[in-house]
Amino acid sequence: MQPAAELEQLMVRYQQGDAAGIAELIQRLSPQLYRFFLAQLVSRRYADDLLQETWLRIHQARHTYRPGEPVLPWIYALARHVRVDHYRRTRRREDRERQVDELPVTPAVQPAASAGPDVQAMLQQLPESQREVLVMLKVSGMSIEEVARATSSSVGSVKQKAHRAYERLRRLYEA
Amino acid sequence: MRPEEFPEILPAASPDRELMTRITVSMTRDLKPERPLRSAGAAVSSLLVVFLAMAVLGAATLGFFGLIRLSSGAIALIFPALAGLTLLAAAASVNAMTPGSKRPFHPAVLMVAACGVMAAIFLLIFRDTSLGRFVPQGLACMRTGLLWAIPTAVFSWIVLRRGYAVNRAAAGIACGTLAGLAGLTVLELHCPNFRLWHILVWHLAVVPIAAAIVGAIYFFGSKRKAAELMQ
Repeated sequence: MQPAAELEQLMVRYQQGDAAGIAELIQRLSPQLYRFFLAQLVSRRYADDLLQETWLRIHQARHTYRPGEPVLPWIYALARHVRVDHYRRTRRREDRERQVDELPVTPAVQPAASAGPDVQAMLQQLPESQREVLVMLKVSGMSIEEVARATSSSVGSVKQKAHRAYERLRRLYEA
Repeated sequence: MRPEEFPEILPAASPDRELMTRITVSMTRDLKPERPLRSAGAAVSSLLVVFLAMAVLGAATLGFFGLIRLSSGAIALIFPALAGLTLLAAAASVNAMTPGSKRPFHPAVLMVAACGVMAAIFLLIFRDTSLGRFVPQGLACMRTGLLWAIPTAVFSWIVLRRGYAVNRAAAGIACGTLAGLAGLTVLELHCPNFRLWHILVWHLAVVPIAAAIVGAIYFFGSKRKAAELMQ
């Protein structure tokens, strides 16, 4: 996990035009952003695109980060925005394609080859809002307050979604 | 499975080094210093100044006929409530234009709550339930309220334009609620028609209509801008 103060310093350096600051941020945050997208059931190819688009959006909106504020909610709010835009675009395209030719929708993510539980398959069964909260909390290591900021919702709502997601995963795991 | 086991069992994945290098190169090319947004407090204060200026200018232009006829008790209830709701709408507008900021409630909830609070206050104060010339007088008031809401929305946008809305419709609703409250304040200062239904329907209608119009403008305007950026 990233020490918050270090990320804030890097972000300020980036705003001041320091190339080393943004290079360091990309190195540190790209893996967790990538996992965030993958866990949202997008394919690797799309995850690459989304990661690039997120950094482009971060670049365009870098002045909206206020020094002293936590960095992760700011970054994830933009990443989430990119993902939602991508989801809407994909859905519109799929709808159009389906009208032309009734093709079955193929699952986006290859199941992980492991002896353990198929977490991706279980995640797929969660409602999108619960999955998103769970991934931010458990994959990106954000606090509940940070997730609330990133998803523009209240702390109570995040707690409720996380609780419901855990309950559902537990039931799926035991089944 | 316990929640704390979750990160360990999720398959690890990392982006290609080549991709990260490409991103780094494209972002560091022509990198210039950027001035960060002003503090949230300064932005909220600017919006309050816009609101106050528009409300006073509107009422001064049209005449303070409503304020003169209102009892001191009614003044003490209506205007502090409008001020409080405006403060909340200004804070919501600033937060909606700052990614990752706190948002205790959705701006649409604020808009509905603002209408509810003001409706309750009007029900407490005004007792005349006669209709009079309900539609013609009402339409004139609503038009006046909206006419003063428009410049408030424009100046608010000037204050907020450097921000970035991750939820365009929500940002528009917040700003529209603020503009609608300015229109409502102009009407409360100006309109001497104290019939309950007139105020409840036509004065209050300014808030949701302004919120809907500004919400739609933000949503479709930013969508077009985003499409241009993608090309």
